[in-house]
Parts: sequence; C-alpha cells; structure tokens
Amino acid sequence: MRDILRFGATLTIVALIASGSLAWINKITRPRILLQQETELNNGLYSVLPNSDKGKIDPVLDGDAILYYKGYADKDKTEFIGYALLALGTGYSSTIRTLVGIDPEGTILGIKILFQQETPGLGTRCEEIRSGETTPWWQEQFIGKPSLGIAVDKDNGDIESITGATITSRAITNSIAEQAKTVLDRIDDTHP
Amino acid sequence: MAVGKEFIKGLYKENPVFRLMLGLCPVLAVSSSVNNAIGMGVAATFVLVCSNIFVSLIRQWVHPKIRIPIFIMIIATFVTIVQLVMAGFFPALSRSLGLFIPLIVVNCIILGRAEAFASKHHVFISLIDGLGMGFGFTLALIIIATFREVLGNGTWLGMPIFGPTFQPVLFMIQSPGAFLTIGMLLGLFAWYENRRATKKHG
Repeated sequence: MRDILRFGATLTIVALIASGSLAWINKITRPRILLQQETELNNGLYSVLPNSDKGKIDPVLDGDAILYYKGYADKDKTEFIGYALLALGTGYSSTIRTLVGIDPEGTILGIKILFQQETPGLGTRCEEIRSGETTPWWQEQFIGKPSLGIAVDKDNGDIESITGATITSRAITNSIAEQAKTVLDRIDDTHP
Repeated sequence: MAVGKEFIKGLYKENPVFRLMLGLCPVLAVSSSVNNAIGMGVAATFVLVCSNIFVSLIRQWVHPKIRIPIFIMIIATFVTIVQLVMAGFFPALSRSLGLFIPLIVVNCIILGRAEAFASKHHVFISLIDGLGMGFGFTLALIIIATFREVLGNGTWLGMPIFGPTFQPVLFMIQSPGAFLTIGMLLGLFAWYENRRATKKHG
C-alpha cells in the first residue's frame, strides 16, 4: 500500500512538472505562433493577387468568419483586382489549405498552398520547387485557367495530376473549383 | 578513452537501425528523400541527447517499477517543447521539419536508450551515447534514403543525377521500396559480419 502511494506521488510530481513546463512554454510561444500564421497568410494574399502589395486587401466577413478577400491595386480602392479565397480539401493524409486569387470572371490569378501534410515524395510534390526555379512547378499550370469547373486529367479536366499522388492532386483541384463556385455564387446573389 | 568508444559504437557496431533494429517505423516513413532523412536525423538526435541527459539526471529518484511512464512523459514533453519553440521562433525550419517532430515521440530509439543506458550511467556519458546513437540513426537514414531517392526519383538531395530520359522506379519511394531497401541492407551487413567472424576464427 505504501508503495502505491509512493509511486502515485512520484508520478504525480513528474506529471505536474511536465504539464507545468508545457503550459509555460505554450504561453510564451503562442503570440509568436499566431503572428507567424498571420504573416504567412498576408504574404500568401499578396502573392496570389498580383499587384496588390501596393494596394489593399480587405476581408469580407459573415459575422466573425472570413468568407473571402477583395484585393485592390491601390490604397484608394479604385482599381479592383479580384478575390482571394481559402480552399480546404481533404487530401490523402491531411486537410490541404490552398489560397487562390481569382479575377471577377473566375480566372485564376495566383495560387499558394498554405498547409499540407501529404506523403513525402509523392503528395508533397505539390509544393516542390525544382532547382534553379522559384515557384512550385505543379502549381504553375493553374494560373490563367478558369477556376469554375477546374478538374484533374483523370476527371476529364486540364490539370495534370502528380504521378502517384492522384488523391492529393484531386483534393487541391476540386477544393479550388468548389470554393470558387461558393464565393462567386454568393457574390452574384448579393451584387446582382 | 571510454568516451570515444561510447560514441563510435552508435555508428556501426551498435547502429540503432541496422544492429539494434530500433526506430524502424520512422525510418520506413521518412527515408524517401535524403533531405527529409537529414532533417529527421538532426531533430531526433537533439531529442535523444536531451532525453538521455534528463533521464540520467533523475535516475536516482525513479523507482524501477514506474520508470517507463516517467520516461515517456519526459520524452513527450521534450518533443512538444521542441515543436512549440520551432513553430514560434524558427518558422522556416518548422515548415520543412514540421511533419517529423511529432514522429519522434514514437521513435523507439529514444525510449530504448533511456531504458538501456541513460538510466544506468552518469550524465556526461549518457550525452555521448545519445550523440553516437543519434548520428548512427542519421547515417542509416541517409544511406537508405540515398537508395530510395536515387532509384525512385532520379535525384539526390533534390539534384537530378540522371538525364531526363531516366525512368524512376516509382515503388522505391513508396512502402515496398522502404522494406526492400532496409531488408537488403540488413542482409548485406549480416553477410559482412559473418565473413569477418569466420575469417577471424578460421
């Protein structure tokens, strides 16, 4: 009985020290982590809406939720570039977050994958940059294509899937098509 | 000196992957490219060294009957701290290694060395053991990843080796390739050790 009490006490002490240190580290790093995520989102927004970095990008809200962003090339908001959308797709082993910039007709202006945890060497090739280049080669084919109805080659679309990563390719492509439809439908409804 | 011996053993004689057969799950998963292999190796070595130091420090106060839950708590706490600090202060590093850090918790090498070595030796030599084992793990990962990436992708560290006409053996980057490569290498090491033993004893 005394042993059980002693063991219990030791385990409790270790657990308290472990959780205490983790809580403390979490508190210290949380503001920085949030800041990193915000910076990454902002950089992403500027990169998917060309010429927007000298202008403004405004979120369009529904309550607290951000539906999409409107990008302008100038600070006075007279030159409208297009919309930036966040598309979520269920990939092979993660929910892939893709930022897409489209013009008012739905043509894709820019694309950036914000988050993915797909299979290394296969699905992760969606973000692969060849040596000597600066942008992911697989994502370049999206630019200039219409976002509505965009699909991978296996679904009779224009997008070439990554060899051995059909699910990842399809998830990203379809999420863009779906989110574009949702946002553009909503814009048509509110600004006929 | 004993210190050198404790370090070197992790590289070949007691290589955690090829000899002790520890940590095979992350090895299978992460060895698809040399870049990933190096990242995982470095991160795992860091956690291994810290965990060995800590376990060695408290070894006098831990009763053997509850040592496993305590070791696991220490390891999991370290890995989470590494994860949080990297996400907050080294975002670029966190992006490239981010996937592998949580995998370190299930790396048997760490628990294995805590149990077999750090809990029975003093702090400095435990640190050396951690370094040696970590380097051996990284070395094993790099060797396996070299085979898999060169044959399965035609590149090494992302740099193309063969010309554009090279047809990569796709399954090398997938699970079967991992099992085959590790199996072959294990067989090779065993055969070599066998030859050395027969040569020595005639």
